Amino acid sequence: MTDAMPTRRTALALGAAAILAAGPARAQAGRVARIGLVQSTTGGSAALYGTEQKQAIELAFDEINAANTLNGIRLQALHADDGADRSQTVNIFQRLIRQDKVVAILGPTLSNSAFAADPIAQAAGIPVIASSNTAPNLTRIGDFVFRTSVPEDQVFPTVLRYAVQKHGVKRVALIYGLDDALTRGAHDVQKKAVADLGLEQTGIESYQRGDVDFSAQLTKIKARKPDALILGTLAEEAASILRQARQLGFDDKVVFVGCNANISAKLFELAGPAANGIIVGAAWFAGYDSPRSRAFVEAYRKRYGSTPDIYAAQGYDAAYLLAEAIRRAGGADSGRAIRDKLAGITDFEGVLGRFGWSAERDATVTPKVLVGDGQARVFVTAPGA
Amino acid sequence: MILQQLVNGLSLGSVYAVFAVGFTLVFGVLNVLNLSQGAVFMWGAYLGLEVVGTLALPLPAAVAVAFVAAGLLGVLSEWIVFRPLQRRGAHRWMGMVASLALARILIGLAQEAFGTQVVRYPDSAMTMASLDILGARVQLLQLVALAAALTMVLALGALLRLTNLGRAIRTVAFSETVARLVGAPVDRVRLATFFVAGALAGGAGVLWSLVFQSVSPFMGDAILLKGLTVLILGGLGNVLGALAGGLLLGLVEVSSVVAVGSGYRDAIGFGLVLAILLVRPTGLFATREAKRA
Amino acid sequence: MTDFYYAYENVIDLCLLNSVLALGCLLLLSVNLLSLATGGLMAIGAYLSIWLTMSQGWPFAPALAAATLAAALASAGLGALVLRLRGDYFAMATLAFTEVVRIVALNWDGVTGGALGVFGIPKYTETWHLAGLLGLVLYIVWAVRHSAIGDRMRAVAEDELAVTASGHDVARLKLAIFTASGAVAGLGGGLAAHLNMFVAPGDFGFLRSVDAVVAPVLGGVGNLFGAVIGATALTVLPEALRFSAQLREILVGGVILLAVLFLPAGLTSIPRALARRMAA
Repeated sequence: MTDAMPTRRTALALGAAAILAAGPARAQAGRVARIGLVQSTTGGSAALYGTEQKQAIELAFDEINAANTLNGIRLQALHADDGADRSQTVNIFQRLIRQDKVVAILGPTLSNSAFAADPIAQAAGIPVIASSNTAPNLTRIGDFVFRTSVPEDQVFPTVLRYAVQKHGVKRVALIYGLDDALTRGAHDVQKKAVADLGLEQTGIESYQRGDVDFSAQLTKIKARKPDALILGTLAEEAASILRQARQLGFDDKVVFVGCNANISAKLFELAGPAANGIIVGAAWFAGYDSPRSRAFVEAYRKRYGSTPDIYAAQGYDAAYLLAEAIRRAGGADSGRAIRDKLAGITDFEGVLGRFGWSAERDATVTPKVLVGDGQARVFVTAPGA
Repeated sequence: MILQQLVNGLSLGSVYAVFAVGFTLVFGVLNVLNLSQGAVFMWGAYLGLEVVGTLALPLPAAVAVAFVAAGLLGVLSEWIVFRPLQRRGAHRWMGMVASLALARILIGLAQEAFGTQVVRYPDSAMTMASLDILGARVQLLQLVALAAALTMVLALGALLRLTNLGRAIRTVAFSETVARLVGAPVDRVRLATFFVAGALAGGAGVLWSLVFQSVSPFMGDAILLKGLTVLILGGLGNVLGALAGGLLLGLVEVSSVVAVGSGYRDAIGFGLVLAILLVRPTGLFATREAKRA
Repeated sequence: MTDFYYAYENVIDLCLLNSVLALGCLLLLSVNLLSLATGGLMAIGAYLSIWLTMSQGWPFAPALAAATLAAALASAGLGALVLRLRGDYFAMATLAFTEVVRIVALNWDGVTGGALGVFGIPKYTETWHLAGLLGLVLYIVWAVRHSAIGDRMRAVAEDELAVTASGHDVARLKLAIFTASGAVAGLGGGLAAHLNMFVAPGDFGFLRSVDAVVAPVLGGVGNLFGAVIGATALTVLPEALRFSAQLREILVGGVILLAVLFLPAGLTSIPRALARRMAA
């Protein structure tokens, strides 16, 4: 990892120790805004997304504190790792809200954790901004729940329409992860989009987390001769599927259409040239050409030595949105005031582009249709999108 | 398509078999269920990757390193877990709990050392060649996996039947007490058994990574459950049964995808375990006590 | 104290719940049965109770009663089939049951929501329910252990054949214990489902079953409170070690390993071991 890691870890540990020493009685209303940062940094694949978000949010907080734009209020992140275990997320929310007296929470990493933990924040009047929860209906938990992660149903229909227009797709097959809320949620949206566009659906296959052999499912799909295979999968699974489909001799004309989670440098690393031509839709990608986005990618690379993924970008925007709400509220004493100011933000220029909230407090941004370039190992804007 | 699915099932099953053979050996000989075996499999995969990736050595070197290092991890589990527990006469579930804890530590260490991201072996380490047989696409690597599975089982069989160590192992399998009385070096036999089982798990890890192109700290969890299934299918403690059980599980998984639907694949594997146990309470290929190991 | 409870309410609830489940497994361990059916039986209790409270408008108490009954019946049916299996075969068969239930739950969208789970479950489970249940189960296990049935259980653990030879129906005794343990798991599942407003099939898999059976082993099978102490340790450890970030898994594994290796009679033997050291 980077050289900065040990020192930051020590700093965090010291911070945590200071909080413990100060105890729950600490009634400091002053000029520090304590923000819970609940991201999984252990616990399987969730740790990948969690770590990206944690790093991006800590980067944003440091930038904001250095620029001192909040009338002297400093943002202090209290990170807690839930190990991608929902019970622990609930434990953490209770402790952060009731003992550490945070005024807002950024997270949690997984949608399932959010369904269990967000109601605690809702009841306590503490705003929550998620940056990787894509499950449908998440914000129905209550009016303190926001997200900068763009749900699949805002993106996928556009992507599928592009595949139909550009490649004349008529018959499609679908494959998805049965036991993962993220992939299952993506699949539901994809299935609906296929029906809405009146495409012929020739088969649905699934697999379970940890599976790396997809050849049985792919052989079955291949025999049905679809024009396109739609992936409701994580990036590493998409990579295996792309490779194995080539190995099994899929027709070159078969179009692969992916979901949000596939937009990762990992896809190219694992799939290599097999990722050539995969079509995905995203709220953001590392090559997105705007001043704000370029500056973010550069700062992130400089600090962590790697290219940020979409979850990092969504986390970064979540941090800035929260800071903006705190600035407008003129203080960090009331979760209710921060929530109201947050809900009122309509003109935010973020890394994701021009940003606003839907009536349901979901992010609204224009989806971008992207195509994988297996040689250069990046996503580029789809031609004619 | 049927032929292709047969190929798919056999190559999947052959990796299951290599893993399960070692698992079975420890169980059959020592009557120990070593639940850290999945983590040893994962470490074998990573160490092989370090050899072909970081050190850029050829594949045989990776296999050798994975074999030896994973074998030593197997020995480690005997030293720090099973031997002390056995000396004390602890109940067998103590060994299960302790080996699960050991697996947790090994997985945690792998996360520290290699990160949590999925990685794969470099293209230079293997061949992507394939051949078409009667319309089925067969990867050369799939043939390698099948050949490796058969070779390892035959080699293990030869070891057990033809060498002094093998004779000692089989004596211990009958009864550790008897083996001690007739002067067999029981402690060394136990260590050797753990070494062989660990080595086979490590070899299976490399094989798995080559065929399926995926290495992660959590890859051992799934294979542990598969290994337990194969153990039942093959009859606890039967080496040849483990080979048959591994191949059978691969074929069952593929056919359940074809015939029933992928959503119920694992339910069918476990349903089969239940059904077999109800009909034959000691597994499909269970043998008489005299034929253990 | 109230501040502490307020901040750690969920941790406390989980300790109580996991203790109850661990006691169910302890009953089985005391007749030499290592069952991994806990997850599957919990799932049955959890999903039935949710369906009853959310779709059928049942009040909490009868829904819990139905969950308990359903899991007990499932347990009796499973037990009738698999209790004749010995040792590890029994453990494997119960594991297969848990996995089959999980996969059916993943595919049965209408009731379980598949992997997306069921959310917005009313929070009916209160700490005092769990505490009361733990007290009750502790009392029952204690009473059973100090009765004629308890003696027979110890005899079965010692030598099953001898007990059969003496004319006792060992199969019936085991089935009764397995059914009782299933009822506890089903009730636990119903309470768990109404605790955190959300359930998904992944909650009731292999790991859940393993934790429930590791707890009494860790705490000490010989002691009634072993299950409670083991379950509490397993629940609190990840919280207490959160400061260690990435090292947490290694530390949790290390603590369990050390306990098994150096405390033959489990965590409950610590005071005795200390006393012996003092005396020496």
